[in-house]
Amino acid sequence: MAFEITIPRLGWSMEEGVFARWLKLDGETIRQGDPLFELEGEKAIQEIEAVDTGILRIPANGPQPGSVVKVGAIVGYLVAVGEASPEVPMSASLENDQQITEPLEGASHVSVITGSRDAVMAPAAAPSVRRMAREVGVELNQVEGTGRGGRILADDIMRASSNPRRDKRASAASPRARRAASEFGIDWTQLSGTGAGGRIREQDVLAALTAKKSQSSHLAAGGKRVPLTSRRRVIAKRMVASRQQTVPVTLTTKADAENLVNLREQFKSSGGMAIIPGFQDIIIKLVAGMLLRHPLLSGRWDEDAIVLPAANELHLGMAVDTADGLLVPVLRSVAQLSLVELATRSRLLAEQARSGKLAAADMQGAVFTITNLGAFGIDTFTPIINSPEAAILGLGAIRREPIVLDDGTFVARHQITLSLTFDHRILDGAPAARFLQDMAKAIANPSAALLR
Amino acid sequence: MNLETESTSTAFSPVDDGALPSAPIALYRTMQIIRQTEEELARCHQRGLIFGACHTYVGQEAISTGVCAHLTNQDPIFSTHRGHGHALAKGMPPRELMAELFGRATGCSRGRGGSMHIFSPEIGMMGTSGIVGPCILQACGGGYSSKLMKSGCVAVAFFGDGAVNNGAFHEGLNMAAIWKLPVLFVCENNQFATEVPFAYSSGIPDVGRRAANYGLQGFEVDGNDVIAVSEIAREAIARARSGGGATLIECKTYRTRAHAEGMGDFTYRTREQVEQWKQRCPLASLRLRMRTEFDIDEAIIDAIDTEVTAIVSEARQFSEASPLPDASSASEHVYSQVRTVVRHVELPQAQIVARREISFTQATHEALAEEMAINPRIFVMGEGIGVRGGNFMTTAGLYQLYGAERLCDTPISERGFVGLAGGAAMTGTRPVVDFMFADFILDSVGEIVNQIAKMQYMSSGRLKMPVLLRGCIGIGHSAATHHSGSYYAMYAQVPGLRVVVPSNAYDAKGLMKHALRCDDPVMFLEHREILTMKRHVPKEDYEIEFGRAAIAREGRDVTVVALARMVHLTLSVCEALEREGISVEVIDPRTISPLDTETILQSVAKTGRLLIVDEPPAPCGFAAEIAAQVMDAGFNDLDAPIRRLTGVFTPTPYSPPLEAAVVPNADQIADAIRLLVKE
Repeated sequence: MAFEITIPRLGWSMEEGVFARWLKLDGETIRQGDPLFELEGEKAIQEIEAVDTGILRIPANGPQPGSVVKVGAIVGYLVAVGEASPEVPMSASLENDQQITEPLEGASHVSVITGSRDAVMAPAAAPSVRRMAREVGVELNQVEGTGRGGRILADDIMRASSNPRRDKRASAASPRARRAASEFGIDWTQLSGTGAGGRIREQDVLAALTAKKSQSSHLAAGGKRVPLTSRRRVIAKRMVASRQQTVPVTLTTKADAENLVNLREQFKSSGGMAIIPGFQDIIIKLVAGMLLRHPLLSGRWDEDAIVLPAANELHLGMAVDTADGLLVPVLRSVAQLSLVELATRSRLLAEQARSGKLAAADMQGAVFTITNLGAFGIDTFTPIINSPEAAILGLGAIRREPIVLDDGTFVARHQITLSLTFDHRILDGAPAARFLQDMAKAIANPSAALLR
Repeated sequence: MNLETESTSTAFSPVDDGALPSAPIALYRTMQIIRQTEEELARCHQRGLIFGACHTYVGQEAISTGVCAHLTNQDPIFSTHRGHGHALAKGMPPRELMAELFGRATGCSRGRGGSMHIFSPEIGMMGTSGIVGPCILQACGGGYSSKLMKSGCVAVAFFGDGAVNNGAFHEGLNMAAIWKLPVLFVCENNQFATEVPFAYSSGIPDVGRRAANYGLQGFEVDGNDVIAVSEIAREAIARARSGGGATLIECKTYRTRAHAEGMGDFTYRTREQVEQWKQRCPLASLRLRMRTEFDIDEAIIDAIDTEVTAIVSEARQFSEASPLPDASSASEHVYSQVRTVVRHVELPQAQIVARREISFTQATHEALAEEMAINPRIFVMGEGIGVRGGNFMTTAGLYQLYGAERLCDTPISERGFVGLAGGAAMTGTRPVVDFMFADFILDSVGEIVNQIAKMQYMSSGRLKMPVLLRGCIGIGHSAATHHSGSYYAMYAQVPGLRVVVPSNAYDAKGLMKHALRCDDPVMFLEHREILTMKRHVPKEDYEIEFGRAAIAREGRDVTVVALARMVHLTLSVCEALEREGISVEVIDPRTISPLDTETILQSVAKTGRLLIVDEPPAPCGFAAEIAAQVMDAGFNDLDAPIRRLTGVFTPTPYSPPLEAAVVPNADQIADAIRLLVKE
């Protein structure tokens, strides 16, 4: 009996990933625990280990490096000696959302993978909902799901079926048109047909292809289309989700950072410290303390309740810029960490993020996120909440600025601008402002705050 | 496995000990072979060793024995469903017969025939048939070959009383009479056609005397008296060999076993009647006469019995030990080996001496005349194709060159002369049957479908069937419904036939040449409305192989497949459509069987659209077949549904407006193409 090798879920919301490469060859004997293949999840490439023992059989129609693969998709088998490899069940997988798809290449786009085999982007829906969709003639991938995680509900189907846009969408395409669509990466379900009864014909697909090409040619001469990476897609999806699902308000304030700078100078000059905590580390530590006093800022919206973490669950996300885009590794139980531990840990996570070695677990469970654009000379900005968190704190540049003293004279002091975006569903402006005010105070006198 | 060499090792021959085959001792031995083989087969049938039917010859042994005693291996015999005795009397080793009924690869028909399709052309056993009657006509064909090739052979038809009320009997005896064919018609009157008594089926109780009505000699003889049969057959065969024509011999006899093994026997006759006839056993009476009249020692006769028992026993062991045929060979021998065409289809322009436009009819005439000049085995049969030169000038002037035997005017006996043509082809000549109108072919369809088309297969490729069947098809000029049918789809459903439907003079000559050189039966159908259309036809010899479609016009947007006149109608609208921006590709398959699906698929791969224009009505037709094949193999190439434009499902009416209403016309074709492009 062959063991199936399937795509694991690397994060709570992971529906698909990018198959990176096999680490073993077809025919190799695999022991439980051997690294089998690399999978790019939402934020990192991960080695996937074998959970069974057997001879690796990689089907010819299995995923290629760069293929988008659905969670649960069968990508290969571990078989006994002399046992034949079953075929990857392409058709069966449609119903099960276990889908292996063609590699993304060239001008790939969400709609690239088309035709009946395109379940890549097909959102989750219960079998009964799928049947309903078939009965009323609605294409699932045309429906926006309003259920949890974008799951399509019966209501969504009913809405889509009465959507007048649907009438324009063709119900049939000639076999030749389907073939051309699949060849050129055109989603024929989005075309309107010029054939009898609106049937999509090859010429419709070719026209769409020409249109697509001319769109590309609107780019400046020498421009090119850069294929979306899986990470870019995830970031985009999350940003849009955050924008759509939260009610963001951004507050900004300035904090006196003179003592913060001094404190760091003291760390530096004290010597013997293997790692000198940075400004961000210190502020993260201050945030953790402040969240204990302002728990709503660490709350999470959960339909009928606001969920607050325990004191030892104050995990803080830390936005890290990498060559492939934004990643948010998570510092665990920040309240319980010493500043040095925190600094050591944050440095490691940042390095791992930049080298693509972050494990999926390293990016899960944050209740609040800190993002820092100060290094780029930015003062204020409007951070986007890392949904489903309640708020995000943006750090600006630390600059020396003239401060007007009571006697009307000026003095140069270090200042930092803080930008807090919070979800107005979870809390109102005043408590958010109080948090930010207290944060400013803590930064102005970090030693005292750290002692708390 | 080489059966010929194997079977000689058993040293079986009906002729033994230097005795004449007609000597009583040889006759007895042959009858004993038949009797014991049949009884063994009956036992084997009961034990389930025989898969299908088994019709025994028990009680009738004297007839085939008495007749075949005067034949050589070159004399062909044609038999019926009750033919074991004929095969054995002609010299077939019992093991080959028995192995055939056992369905073995070593059987005389290599397992393709069984009891009712027993072939051994090597010894002149030209087959038994499950259909009553055709053997009479085929024997006429054997006689015709003998006459044409002056081989001196005599052909014999063995048939039962059941065949004599069949049209084949009438047509065959008449043809044998008018052409003085060297044929012997042997009617084995065993008094029952299966279970229907002859006394019920016939207005007169005897068959032999019917011969007089055809101008033939006829005899009625005791079929259980081998010496009497032998005597009368000897005279008749000698007369046939010396040009004296055909003879009908009725042998009155009785089968003492059931019609077929396993069938009930006493619903139509009584045990007493059967017992009475058993008392008249032909073997017992000869045995008695051998002792009393010919003074042959009983021990010698007993020794024959013992020897035959050993032969039959060995035959059974051989049959049981023989392998079953390889299933992968099931479709071998449907057609003869495809001959490599040396002179090829399209001649380079440089080789064409002079451009010369001739009509379709002139082109096929040229092909026929050229082939007749170099192949003396070709002869033409048909109504008015002799002195008159054919209704459509298909044989004009050839009678003057080759005479009445090679240009044989026929009575209106379509079944008769088609059956004869089949027998002629089986015996080495190459008949061309000119039907004038293809509608008339329908009178002979049984001979074509059941006999001619299947003969190569049934004989496991040992018989060739080079029969060219030609006739005019097509609606037009108020020909009405008996002079306008096409029916080619029907023939294309028959394995073993080639079906050719040319659209122009050039193709017609090349295809006709190929038909006259290939060994398969060819249905060559000529559309009457295009016979006078001219086309450049090279004087040089060329052939067009079957199964190669022509691209009559190249185009991009839509493929139209059409035959014969419909090719021209389609071509006539292409220029106008081109001006509308529709580029039409026209494919002319030229032959329906074999059908060049590949060329059609390639065209559809280019255009994505397929229209089939066909003159006959649509159901189960040529267009349906192409549509199905393209759906199978070219589905993903299709950018629109496959469309058919066919004739209306009616007989052909006479009056011009009615006639025009049932055939696709140019406007309809153009509209169909326009609609298809919009699909």
